[in-house]
Amino acid sequence: MAAPSMAAALAASLPAPSAAPTPAAPTYEAIPQSMSTLIDVEAEIPLQCVQLDGLVVSKILKHSSDSNSSSPFGLLLGLDLDGVLEVSNSFPMPHHSGDDDDKSAKSVARYQASMLRSLKEVQGDDTVVGFYQASTLGAFFTQNLIDLQAIHREKLRHGGVVVVHDVSQTARGNASFRAFRLTPTFLDAYKKSSFNTASLANHQLTFSSILEELPLKIHTNPLLSAFLGEFSAASPGAALGTGPSSALPPSFSVLDLKSGGLTKNLEHIVDALDLYRNEENNLAYLSRQIARERAKADNYVMKRKEENATRVAQGLAPLPEEDVTRLFKIPPEPSRLESMLLLGQVDAYAKSLAETTSTGLVKMYAATAGSTV
Amino acid sequence: MPLGPSSSAIHIHPNVPVSAQNNPRTPTSITIHPVALFSILDHYLRRKDDQDRVIGTLLGTRTDAEIEVRSSFAVLHSETSEQVAVDMEYHRTMYELHHKVNPKEVIVGWYSTGSNLNTYSALIQNFYSQETTPHQAIHVSLDTGVEPGQPAGVKGYVSSPVGVFPKPENCVFVPVPVELQFRDSERRGVDLLTSTAVSENSTSQQPLSDLEILESSIQSVTSMIDRVLGYVRAVLAGETKGDPAIGRYLMDTLGASTDDLEKGGFNGRLQDTLMISYLANLVRAQAEVSSRLALVGAS
Repeated sequence: MAAPSMAAALAASLPAPSAAPTPAAPTYEAIPQSMSTLIDVEAEIPLQCVQLDGLVVSKILKHSSDSNSSSPFGLLLGLDLDGVLEVSNSFPMPHHSGDDDDKSAKSVARYQASMLRSLKEVQGDDTVVGFYQASTLGAFFTQNLIDLQAIHREKLRHGGVVVVHDVSQTARGNASFRAFRLTPTFLDAYKKSSFNTASLANHQLTFSSILEELPLKIHTNPLLSAFLGEFSAASPGAALGTGPSSALPPSFSVLDLKSGGLTKNLEHIVDALDLYRNEENNLAYLSRQIARERAKADNYVMKRKEENATRVAQGLAPLPEEDVTRLFKIPPEPSRLESMLLLGQVDAYAKSLAETTSTGLVKMYAATAGSTV
Repeated sequence: MPLGPSSSAIHIHPNVPVSAQNNPRTPTSITIHPVALFSILDHYLRRKDDQDRVIGTLLGTRTDAEIEVRSSFAVLHSETSEQVAVDMEYHRTMYELHHKVNPKEVIVGWYSTGSNLNTYSALIQNFYSQETTPHQAIHVSLDTGVEPGQPAGVKGYVSSPVGVFPKPENCVFVPVPVELQFRDSERRGVDLLTSTAVSENSTSQQPLSDLEILESSIQSVTSMIDRVLGYVRAVLAGETKGDPAIGRYLMDTLGASTDDLEKGGFNGRLQDTLMISYLANLVRAQAEVSSRLALVGAS
């Protein structure tokens, strides 16, 4: 593999800038921790886990529930320290729809730069370390996300991470956050932008090997912990019957027996399957076309060879072997990325459906536990 | 849900004459979302050494006499014994940036940490009142609880001019009740953070599976039932004197039945749920096989 050596050469030639984007080298070889300090300018300590601050958790939740866009996303700011990526702040990105791409891209860039500058002025962290994305029912495999992540990969230390927040799971009572990054094999294929069958087989790529999950931790700083503790503690002396006495009464919506999301989830699966079928049909059509063209080209070559053989037998000069590729346009093999992503979505929907039903079963048995005795 | 220690202060509602239609009503209650509070705390943590308090802008929505604070951002300011300065430029830029993402949220007031209201507070209040005209600006002061003797809490105020000649540095801050408010989804986040806050090192692992959360929920219900059972037994045994109010509450709570889940309905739902579960697993298996087949298709 040529990539690491090239990356090393590039890294050596750089004058060690503090926040410079290091070249996207696969950092999975066991790099010896020769550095005694934790400061790694070149981002050489591989990421072990992602740590979300309490503020970020609540900001992502707010943005996901407020936003009217289908997949709200924003940027994560923070630092990495000894393999732990500490995300300490985040801000939402504006949702653009219907704008022409060029203009909106520019205004987004301006927004981002301006926001970063502003945060720096009030001593906030201003290093972008990744982005977050809200999704429903666990289906976060979209072309958009992959593209964004691949672009970030080039610019950010450690290639950036994506934190996925599942809105529908939160509605069921489990605020779920997961951190992912692109796998090196996928990036390799992405850089060559070749997603044909051979390349997929070479890289052993399936939908489950596009992203790898990083362990994610939630952290609250002591001030926040104290503040929350103060609120959830029942205030003394509150008389019974005067309503909830603490600012944070316990809630039990997890125990709700309703399973209204199931129908929607099933619909999503069926939709995703339809899309997948369409995509597969397209692929099949394209590959048939390729086969046809190739057969034509082979036929032509064969015929020319036979003709030449007869001409040689008759003592005539053989006809020149022409370039078949110029005569017959064999279309390039179609990209299978889209179908792979769709399959990933189907899988994600099915997984969340399976989880919902399993908790549903537990709840049903729990509810009837007393009465069936 | 009241925030902070209860106070004996009376919430005065100024009697606004109905005829003055150009003057919007004075806010009589403030609700605040957790994310705004958390931002303030974060800002306080990141203050400079020489700052004893930080201020910032509150964004939110207002209905008739109620203000809902939904987010906040930090604003640069400096206070010395002679003067106070607020970076208005910065305030405007940040507001515009926030406005791009949340067009519904407008400036409703400002926050500061600590509970001392002084002349500078009045001046800043005056500045924010200009920003929010014709509505009144609110002021939320947040005690972080790090000063000894000052419990953590949040207080809300509106201002009214005082004195014969209204001057910007003279005003009375009238307390307004503040309540914490969240939507269901935010509630989950707060729960998550509360459980994180009490756990070791203030960190918790993610992602949790639905079943784990269900388990902890059921366990807490079980422990509550145990507590109630203990109390009821004690009353029955005559060890403690029963409180009729508690008895009434218990009756209301435990009177609910699971009749709607009677035998037939239960079996029907069980079969439905199992069916869906099989289906989901089948789809997953098919997807996995399909993705593997795509790999061998080439050879």
